[in-house]
Amino acid sequence: MAENVSLTELQLIIRDSLYMALPDFYWVIAEISELNDNNSGHCYLELIEKNPEEKNVKARVRAIIWSNRYRFLKAFFENSTQETLREGLKILIKVKIEYHELYGLSLIISDIDPAFTIGDMAMKRQLIIKQLEKEGVFTMNKDLPFPVVPQRIAVISSKKAAGYTDFVDQLKNNSLGYVFYTHLLETSLQGIETEHGVISALDKIAINASLFDVVVIIRGGGSQSDLSWFDNYNLAFHVTQFPLPVITGIGHEKDVSVTDLVANKSLKTPTAVADFLIDTISEAENYINEMSSEIVEVSRVIIEKNRNMIETASIKLLPMTRLMLSDVKEKLSACILEINNTGKALIYKASLIPANHRSILGSTIKSVLSGKLMSLEINKSNLNSSAIKLLNSSSMRVNGLESLLQILKPENVLQRGYTITSFNGEIIKNAELLKPDDIIDTQFIDGVLKSKVFGKKT
Amino acid sequence: MTKKEFSFNDAVNEIETILHNIESGDLDVDKLAVEVRRASELIKQCQKKLRTTEDEINSIFKDLT
Repeated sequence: MAENVSLTELQLIIRDSLYMALPDFYWVIAEISELNDNNSGHCYLELIEKNPEEKNVKARVRAIIWSNRYRFLKAFFENSTQETLREGLKILIKVKIEYHELYGLSLIISDIDPAFTIGDMAMKRQLIIKQLEKEGVFTMNKDLPFPVVPQRIAVISSKKAAGYTDFVDQLKNNSLGYVFYTHLLETSLQGIETEHGVISALDKIAINASLFDVVVIIRGGGSQSDLSWFDNYNLAFHVTQFPLPVITGIGHEKDVSVTDLVANKSLKTPTAVADFLIDTISEAENYINEMSSEIVEVSRVIIEKNRNMIETASIKLLPMTRLMLSDVKEKLSACILEINNTGKALIYKASLIPANHRSILGSTIKSVLSGKLMSLEINKSNLNSSAIKLLNSSSMRVNGLESLLQILKPENVLQRGYTITSFNGEIIKNAELLKPDDIIDTQFIDGVLKSKVFGKKT
Repeated sequence: MTKKEFSFNDAVNEIETILHNIESGDLDVDKLAVEVRRASELIKQCQKKLRTTEDEINSIFKDLT
């Protein structure tokens, strides 16, 4: 090639070569890394392919969906997948190569196969599920016992979305009159902030876990539910670890996310969640009412049974008593009769005896009396003689004592030559009681002499 | 387990026990009256918990950030 070419010419050469070499369309798998659908109605994307292991970008290209096509494909895709076309999704698209001298290479997208995206999302979901199962945490929140009366509810919902207001209203105005207490933790439930938002809401609730019975994650339904924000390993893991049962009502018609699968209960809509809570309490109340009726019924039977017993007994009581009484009366009469007869017989027998007894009694008395009299006479004479003997011996003793007394009379003693010594008026019997020079009195039969003591005679 | 849950579950268990006792037929008529009265009391409490707002809980929720 000798000639110089202008840039435009070069571009056109490239373009023509390309169009000639690759005239067809291709179905290509790519990931959307950027998506812009502005006012013009056209959709401008950047497509990439990532290295599966190292997650770095291996290939990149621009793509366009012209507005008329975009309108159709967008609706078609979102209907089929319930997801909006957005960054992060892997898609299977039919493209034609376009090369423009000004804009370079771009792919023009003419068709899309939603099944691929569904399949891809499902596969990603499966991987997360497998991971959680491998770690043994998949059923941890599901295994938590659901409270019998779930009255205190922590609500994770997006900012004052219709779903939330309806939910709270439904609980407040439930026809059975149950009381619920709800506390809202606001976070986005769509887009890339979902993971972080919900996790931090869960963390806040966990700090006050004792104040709540359940956690409810709800959002209003829309045509695009973007469930794949909840196909998130981190988020699902946090739910499995949560200490309270988690209920999800994130409004997806066809599909369930991993978060739904690991939650204690997963329902379609916030309304369904509210109904479920009300029904749970209703069941508890029904159970109690049933037991109450049971108790009343069984008690009634027992009381009836007892009443019958008493009645039966009281019916039998009167006649039985009468029977017993008449029985006793008869026996009594018979006794009385016997006593009478026996008594009469005894009395008659007794009346025959007295006469005999009287005479025997008389003679017996006489002999006893005379015997007594005789012994009495004997005693009398014995007494006399004994008395006389006693008197005689007594008078002899008295005479004896008298003569002794005479001998011992002081005058008689003095007459025989004894003297009585006294000192200071007192009679002295012992010589030791006196000292030399003591003045003593000595009484003789014929008078008293005063003398002085010399001393003891040795 | 919360305070509320605690008393409701306990109440239900106690009512079940009372019912079981009555059905087993071992109760004499005097005990029957006492047990039924107790059950009635518990049932009343449960129903009250379901339908009466507890201001305590309301104020706690209000204070939560």
